[in-house]
Amino acid sequence: MSAVSPSALLVTSSIQLQTEALSRTYPSGDGQITALRPFSHTFAAGMTSVVGPSGSGKSTLLNLLAGFDTPSSGAVRVGDTDIHSLSEAGRADFRLKHYGFVFQSHNLVAILSAQENVEFPLMLAGVPPRERRERARALLSQVGLEGRTHHLPSHLSGGEAQRVAIARALVGNPAVLLADEPTGNLDTRSGEIILELLTRPAREGKTVVLITHDADVAALADHHLRVRDGEVTVER
Amino acid sequence: MWILARRGLTRRPIRTLLTTLGIVVAVASMVIFLSLGEGIRKVFNDELGGIGPDVQVSLSGFTQGFAPQPNLPQSTVGDIEKLAPELGITRVTPVIMSVRGSLDPSQSAVLYGLPAEQGINAVFSNVAIAQGRLLRAGDSGVAVVGAKASTNLKLSLGSTLRLNRRSAVKVVGILAKSGGLNDSFIFMPLVTMQAAEGAQNRVSMVAVKLDDPKAARRVADQLAKTLNLEAQTQGDFLSFADRALKISDAVRFGISLISLIVGGLAVTNTVMMGVFERTREFGTLRAIGARPGFVRELVLTESLLLSLVGGVGGLLLGLVGIWGVNLYTQNLAGFDAAALTPRLTLLALVISLLLGLIAGLLPARSASRLSINEALGRV
Repeated sequence: MSAVSPSALLVTSSIQLQTEALSRTYPSGDGQITALRPFSHTFAAGMTSVVGPSGSGKSTLLNLLAGFDTPSSGAVRVGDTDIHSLSEAGRADFRLKHYGFVFQSHNLVAILSAQENVEFPLMLAGVPPRERRERARALLSQVGLEGRTHHLPSHLSGGEAQRVAIARALVGNPAVLLADEPTGNLDTRSGEIILELLTRPAREGKTVVLITHDADVAALADHHLRVRDGEVTVER
Repeated sequence: MWILARRGLTRRPIRTLLTTLGIVVAVASMVIFLSLGEGIRKVFNDELGGIGPDVQVSLSGFTQGFAPQPNLPQSTVGDIEKLAPELGITRVTPVIMSVRGSLDPSQSAVLYGLPAEQGINAVFSNVAIAQGRLLRAGDSGVAVVGAKASTNLKLSLGSTLRLNRRSAVKVVGILAKSGGLNDSFIFMPLVTMQAAEGAQNRVSMVAVKLDDPKAARRVADQLAKTLNLEAQTQGDFLSFADRALKISDAVRFGISLISLIVGGLAVTNTVMMGVFERTREFGTLRAIGARPGFVRELVLTESLLLSLVGGVGGLLLGLVGIWGVNLYTQNLAGFDAAALTPRLTLLALVISLLLGLIAGLLPARSASRLSINEALGRV
């Protein structure tokens, strides 16, 4: 069980996400492949889109921001914490407390109902059952799924499942929300609903990083980054 | 955690059921095998006080097993009687024993000769007659048969029992069922059995009764030293039997270990398959904040849950098996050879859980060490 204080999840926080000369190279034969060139940036509150073609380094950037992968050099700071200086368990706790994730595929736990999926991060944080039930129901209601709380992911449409994933990402009230092609697998209408749900936390002052290859989706963001051949540039 | 583990197992119900059945059978076979030792131990502990002499003197102790050869001179009786006042001996009974074996276990019996004038109660205080009469002074060529021996060998009052080609005895009494080992005994006068065995003036052992049974150890040591023979107490017999049972336990446990190992491998396989199938799910759990330890505990819990259910099922199936074994041995010898004791129940559950723990270690380690990137298919 995680040692994260339950109350820590319930306080709206606004913490700055920064990269400092963040880079990633992979060994390849005798040489190295540069997946991400040194990149320093402060993510402003609101939604930042990261666009670029396939293989440009978008996912590498998100993996490093999330602490899924270890940088070759540089740092990712959330507030005063360099997340890569933390232990594996420490990084897990940090993600639980400060991050929310929305993936291209909803990635819900197949054996848990919609409500149980949303409750899961709170369970990890040790929030009492009654409180986490109430918070999960409230979040599911906010994403328009109050009538689907007990459905398994297999009984939900792709759009509904992605809305559950957004509720799960937001239930811990994270400062940073990382979304990787969240509308990639959805039809236009469902995609619009998901984007609307993602812009809400951005408007509330959270840092939302949205990775997409769709220019129309990227246009909804407040700030824009473009990645090409591992080089990240800020677009005005 | 328990809910996740339970649902994790039930998502592939047939595979889980088959694995559980594997453990059920492995634990049940262990329970049945080990229950045989427990049952026999129980019979010895419950009955020896009522059936055995305080001290028994023989030429070579228990090395010849339960029924020693008649190779002890009968003059030993006189030697012991001389020491009787000094050692507090109240009765000295020469005994000759022989096991009447057969390929069919139900046709086996223990032939037990003792002086007719002393009677069966001289050694077996708990026997009672059901039909006919007990042995009495002057008897020769007669036998009193235990309840089970009477049924198995189809002996009734007046029947003739052939001991060998030259000798036969007539059944004059049938004992009431005692539920003990002596239900399979056939008692006859010492002289009759000595003649049948061709062992005139020789006995298997001399049974000694004391006025103070607590002095048995001291008296046995004194007799052994003075007569230069082996002298054992009931405690010696119990510890001898216990040693023999422990060796037998170890052999039987060794045999059941094979099925336990197979059961354990089945658990490892099932849990490992579950881990492979849920790689993405574990990656997601880790991504949203589960520590590696959480994933490790989750997989171990599944493995333990599987083994615990298998262990309880194995105990229940074992109980059925024990019932079957006892039905057979009751029919054969009149006592329950198998017993499910609290310590065997505990052992079966502990072994099941240990099995789950060991079987789950490798899958749990694999699951907790998954790279989030790889698990989520992000590389």
